[in-house]
Amino acid sequence: MLASFDTHIFWEALSSKPYRTGALLALELTLVSLAAACVIGFFLALGRGSRSRAVRAIVFLYNWIFRATPTLLQLIFIWYALPQLWPVFAGSWFKVFLAAFIALSLNEAAYMSEIIRAGLLSVDPGQELAGRALGMTRPRILLRVIIPQAVRIIIPPIGNEFITLLKLTSLASVISLHELLTASQVRATATFRYQEAYSAAIVYYLAIVSVLMILQSQLEKRFTWSSAGRRRRRVAAPAVPAVSHDAR
Amino acid sequence: MTDAVLRAEGVHKSYDGLEVLRGVSLEVGRGEVKVIIGPSGSGKSTLLRCLALLEPVDSGGVFLDDAHLSGLPEKQLAAHRSEVGMVFQRFNLFQNMTALANVMCGLVEVRRLKKREARERALEFLDRVGLRDKANQYPEELSGGQQQRVAIARALVMRPKAMLFDEPTSALDVELVREVLDVMEGLARDGMTMVVVSHELRFAHSVASSILMMDEGRVIEEAAPDTFFSSPSHERTRRFLALVE
Repeated sequence: MLASFDTHIFWEALSSKPYRTGALLALELTLVSLAAACVIGFFLALGRGSRSRAVRAIVFLYNWIFRATPTLLQLIFIWYALPQLWPVFAGSWFKVFLAAFIALSLNEAAYMSEIIRAGLLSVDPGQELAGRALGMTRPRILLRVIIPQAVRIIIPPIGNEFITLLKLTSLASVISLHELLTASQVRATATFRYQEAYSAAIVYYLAIVSVLMILQSQLEKRFTWSSAGRRRRRVAAPAVPAVSHDAR
Repeated sequence: MTDAVLRAEGVHKSYDGLEVLRGVSLEVGRGEVKVIIGPSGSGKSTLLRCLALLEPVDSGGVFLDDAHLSGLPEKQLAAHRSEVGMVFQRFNLFQNMTALANVMCGLVEVRRLKKREARERALEFLDRVGLRDKANQYPEELSGGQQQRVAIARALVMRPKAMLFDEPTSALDVELVREVLDVMEGLARDGMTMVVVSHELRFAHSVASSILMMDEGRVIEEAAPDTFFSSPSHERTRRFLALVE
């Protein structure tokens, strides 16, 4: 069976333009969705700790809706059902990339809020107390003291989220976004060389995740606060409980 | 009008129905050092937090230079907090900043000083606690005694009207206590107004203007060190001193 694997066809697929642009598109979608999810998730995390009952209820409702329904369904809903609900979205400006971006970032934000909240809570309350005693306002304490320390703790789980999200971008193939999986499907059905076409896609995914893993370890060092830590990795950061969501 | 720098008047404070402070009054004159002792749960730390304006009081008031501050809304309170320096038992240095950045932080974030000016002043104060050479170290790399001295510099650099110390040496190894007490004694000599919660009785004896005994949310006794130790008037004080010594 392996004998029929044609390396030439494989290399051809690997270096073809649709694969490159597809991989780039998947990466772009992952990055912008992750960034948006971090911002939305941050406010959701603050909202969960809010004194207002109404704010907490809204956050709960949000997380409930986006975690209880399949990501694929959310994607399809936003692309097909949203324009029917709101005619504004029926315009030609509403591109498939935008729909995927909205669906993935809203979905991811629900998970990200849990991670960010756990990160913020893991910072010693004495840090905030010291900031207040100095006369700093709460937003300044968050910005200068708490967020930098929380970031160190949430980098590893955010790395996981990046990987999850990268794989989730393949779902956008069902709303005909020309990402990596679509590119390999097109090639596979056109040439009937399934093994080569899909192997090439696997290589791209592996490559992207590998680069991410290197970047992540660099970033972890950057957020370790001892002069030695910048050269050598610290033993362990306090762990944030993992949110299990592999079945998304 | 009084000549007190820092004053508490009939302060009451409860947490979840539990009354921690039951009418505490206290006057700290300029350059005075008040040492507060008492069993755990007697309300010493809570009193200090109220004096530092970190906790709202239920009734009574906290006055700084005769200005009634404890009633102010949170927004105005933040600025006033920097007029009182607070040193914590567990140092609470910002873990993500070097010693220098810790000391600069209040100057830059609260006093809005230019970075260069803040750095110069911060170095000057690190020098004062003998840690100029540790300026670029992170808290994690410093000993407990060194961390506490940086914390003192961080509070001091704001030029507070009074300094509050909440058991500043009780989280330290025995051999590191001295270096912190030395810094505090130096401050007292320089005329800093201080309130110190501490069970370092020898320090109290040599530095305090007066010593206060707290029990069950009240100040039950206040006296000059000599009187306090030689002939405490309260039975509770006698029992407590016997246990501490």
